[in-house]
Amino acid sequence: MIKITNLEKFYRTEEVETIALNKLSMEVKKGEFVAIMGPSGCGKSTLLNILGLLDDPDAGSYLFNDIEVADFNERKRADLRKHNIGFVFQSFNLIDELTVFENVELPLIYTGVAAADRVKKVEAVLDKMQIMHRRNHYPQQLSGGQQQRVAIARAVVNTPKIILADEPTGNLDSSNGNDVMELLTDLNEQGTTIIMVTHSEHDARYSHRIIRLLDGQTVVENIMI
Amino acid sequence: MACGILIFTLVTYHLSFDTFHKNPDRIYRFVTEWHDDEIDRSSSVPMPVGTAFRTDFSLGQITARTFLMGNSLVTINQGNDVKKFREENGVTFAEPGFLDIFNFPLIKGNSKELFGKPKQAVVTEKVAFKFFGTTDVIGKVIKVENKTQFTIVGVLKNIPANTDLNTEIYVSYGSLIDYDAFGNDKNWGGVMSSSKAYTLLQPGVTRAAADMALAQLPKKHFTGRDASVWKFKLQPLSDVHFNTEFDAYASKTYLWALFFIGLFLIITACVNFVNLATAQALNRAKEVGIRKVMGSLPYQLFWQFIAETAIITLVGVIVAVGLAELFLPMLNGLFKTEMDFHWMQLSLFIVFATVVVIFLSGSYPGLVLARFQPILALKSKLSQKDVGGFSLRRVLVVTQFVISQVLIIGSIVVVAQMRYAQTADLGFKKDAIVLLPMPKNDKATVGTMRNQLSGIPGVESVTFCMGAPASRSNSTTGINYDNRAEDEHWGINMKSADDQYISTFNIKLVAGRNVFAADTVREFLVNETVARKLGIQPKDLIGKKIAVNGGTIKGPVVGVVKDFYNHSFHSEIAPICIMTQSDNYYTAAVKMDMRHAKESLAAFEKIWSSTFPEELYSYQFLDESIARFYELDNTLLKLVEAFAAIAIIISCLGLYGLVSFMAVPKTKEIGVRKVLGANIGQVLWLFGKEFTYLLLIAFVIAAPLAGWAMHNYLQDFKYKISLGPGIFLAAIASTFVIAAITVSYRATIAALTNPVKSLRSE
Repeated sequence: MIKITNLEKFYRTEEVETIALNKLSMEVKKGEFVAIMGPSGCGKSTLLNILGLLDDPDAGSYLFNDIEVADFNERKRADLRKHNIGFVFQSFNLIDELTVFENVELPLIYTGVAAADRVKKVEAVLDKMQIMHRRNHYPQQLSGGQQQRVAIARAVVNTPKIILADEPTGNLDSSNGNDVMELLTDLNEQGTTIIMVTHSEHDARYSHRIIRLLDGQTVVENIMI
Repeated sequence: MACGILIFTLVTYHLSFDTFHKNPDRIYRFVTEWHDDEIDRSSSVPMPVGTAFRTDFSLGQITARTFLMGNSLVTINQGNDVKKFREENGVTFAEPGFLDIFNFPLIKGNSKELFGKPKQAVVTEKVAFKFFGTTDVIGKVIKVENKTQFTIVGVLKNIPANTDLNTEIYVSYGSLIDYDAFGNDKNWGGVMSSSKAYTLLQPGVTRAAADMALAQLPKKHFTGRDASVWKFKLQPLSDVHFNTEFDAYASKTYLWALFFIGLFLIITACVNFVNLATAQALNRAKEVGIRKVMGSLPYQLFWQFIAETAIITLVGVIVAVGLAELFLPMLNGLFKTEMDFHWMQLSLFIVFATVVVIFLSGSYPGLVLARFQPILALKSKLSQKDVGGFSLRRVLVVTQFVISQVLIIGSIVVVAQMRYAQTADLGFKKDAIVLLPMPKNDKATVGTMRNQLSGIPGVESVTFCMGAPASRSNSTTGINYDNRAEDEHWGINMKSADDQYISTFNIKLVAGRNVFAADTVREFLVNETVARKLGIQPKDLIGKKIAVNGGTIKGPVVGVVKDFYNHSFHSEIAPICIMTQSDNYYTAAVKMDMRHAKESLAAFEKIWSSTFPEELYSYQFLDESIARFYELDNTLLKLVEAFAAIAIIISCLGLYGLVSFMAVPKTKEIGVRKVLGANIGQVLWLFGKEFTYLLLIAFVIAAPLAGWAMHNYLQDFKYKISLGPGIFLAAIASTFVIAAITVSYRATIAALTNPVKSLRSE
């Protein structure tokens, strides 16, 4: 599903050039649940952004479903992104002025789904995440765990092929964190590919495989049973 | 601020009119009112009124009559050298005492015996210098309108600019009899606009008491219905400059409008400052936090911010004074005034305005900053809510939009009305017609002029008349129709003109025929309004006798002409009669082929100057003279346009502030939306939605306000455009475009930001 080869990314300021990704290669198969770990500044987030087509690499190849996307322009990337990739963030990134329902509806609007279909889809996913009763509340009125569920609902409402999660439990207590991990596991069992960046060894254990990064390079790959 | 200073100067200038006299509250002008079907007013009185008030009552300390001969020709003989001057401010014939009522001090000559004898003249220093090159002019002689010679017996200090009595040459009232064209001393039945009277009431005498006394005059001097129609009253001097029912130049309404525009501009600017300053407050949160940790108290922070605002405001004021200084000459040009900054009162105004502005714009952001919680401020965890929130800003921006939309609608309406006035069908032709004055109009002169002017190649027709169809000088008199027992209750406008009049001006006949050539009145043309007022079909009017001018001029109606505008659109079309009366032909109107304009004009001057060697040549195009009816409107228009532009710029700055303010917290939201697949257009619409919404609210408030104001403005015009939805649509559309341009820059930056950057804070 995803195959990157010799991926490079630099950050330049006037004086310093920092290497974020250094000839990184890896592969993620359809239906896999992969965790990416490593110390701060090892390039985890940069990798996730490139995988999520939010950022472009400076060198190397990125095959998404066997299509080379490394040199896609903004419009093409956005198009590919909104139909294939769902995002879950550490700080949820819900829009404060919109209700739970409207937040979840947003990706459907941007992919041009008809209004009647949108209602059906949003209701189905809210039901599945067990936050249907909160549909008309605003994000500030929810607990952290509930907010993250809304965020996950928003990520999956479009039935993406892959979910990219950036420390999804980072802002949650352990009980809520476990709930979120269960949800992701369920989604994975239903066929969604998941790539998750995390600091937590505990969370990483939910995955099939852990990729450990250091200084922009893969150091170890642990296969979980 | 600069606008504020200019407007303040303008308003105080107008308020200062004629306030420099010694007892301004005791000085009054006599006025006439006619209470008939409608109330008509004139700022002039029949000549005997002043005398009667002086002799019959003892209410006035000094009463003096004046007679203004406008735009007069003054001739000076120095040896063989003859110099001619056209005095635009005219020559005023004044009774003794006039210069004691008003504070126009003499710097040379004796005021005691002034104007007691005929043939005396007093001129200002300026005029003396212009005529003779010196102010040492006592004993010199000037000739007015080629008739009487006046000896200069005094020199006046220059007349200040802020007076409506702007004549610079005064001569003895007693010499008025030399000028037979100007009526007589005993005639109660006619009001000439040039004939005024003023009084300085005895101390303690009220205006009401004087009005009571004046009410006796019509009973004594008029008979029948006239005794109840005519009324004489006093008008306070302070009212003269502003009361547009008479002949005032400045209406207080306009001044108030300007005052509010100035106030609005200052408010908008303050609003902007508050807006931007509070938006900036977040960036200064850290500084405030550190200061608080170091032990600063809230009030110290508050005053710190006020001090900062004060510095900014003071710099602004200095720039504003400079700008005002720069633009004052332009404003003077626009209004044809001679305003100066009076630093005493102006500095008071500036100090006051500055303090108000500082507190108005500094206190709110200051309070906001002082209230910050230090811990939150240090951790940059303050949100928009801590700096006044979004809705406050919305209110501020809506206020600004309301102001600018009102001004935009205002300028559109004024422009539309002006265009209407300049392009509408006047009922007569106004292009390619030149008006020449006729200082002499005896039969021989008129005949020679006609032959000579007609002989010029390119001249299509020539008519001799009192004035053009639309003219400032209108002569109105009573009318008797078909020998009815009683005169009609309305006046008729008399126009003297020869048989070429209606063809030259292309006035259409609707019934009957044109008048035959004649030198005295034999028959009349009337307009449709006369027929309508009489309730008679135009064709039935033909052959009926009418008598005008107190029954002295009689004759049958031979034709009815289509209505044409006899003044500006401000006034209604009057009932009009046209008659041949050659001793009233003060104007020659020449229709010419504009392709030969240059040669023709040169030929006119040659003929005219040889016919009237003692006079000073001048000519005017009819369309230009009609355009002058709208001078004040055009001035108003320019002013409204300028201020509307300034207001729009200021509100755009406000809008820019709002968008910048919106963009900061929105960056994250934009990032999220872009990650979820929003394209740039959809992100731009986030901003567009916001300001469209604000604009519409502003429009809902502004439209009725502006509609009401403009409705009042158009009330002044008897013939006017209608306030259609188009005007309002144009206003909102233009604001929309301007606002869109302002918003799009900032919004585009926000929309183009890479979402990775805006979401990186994690």
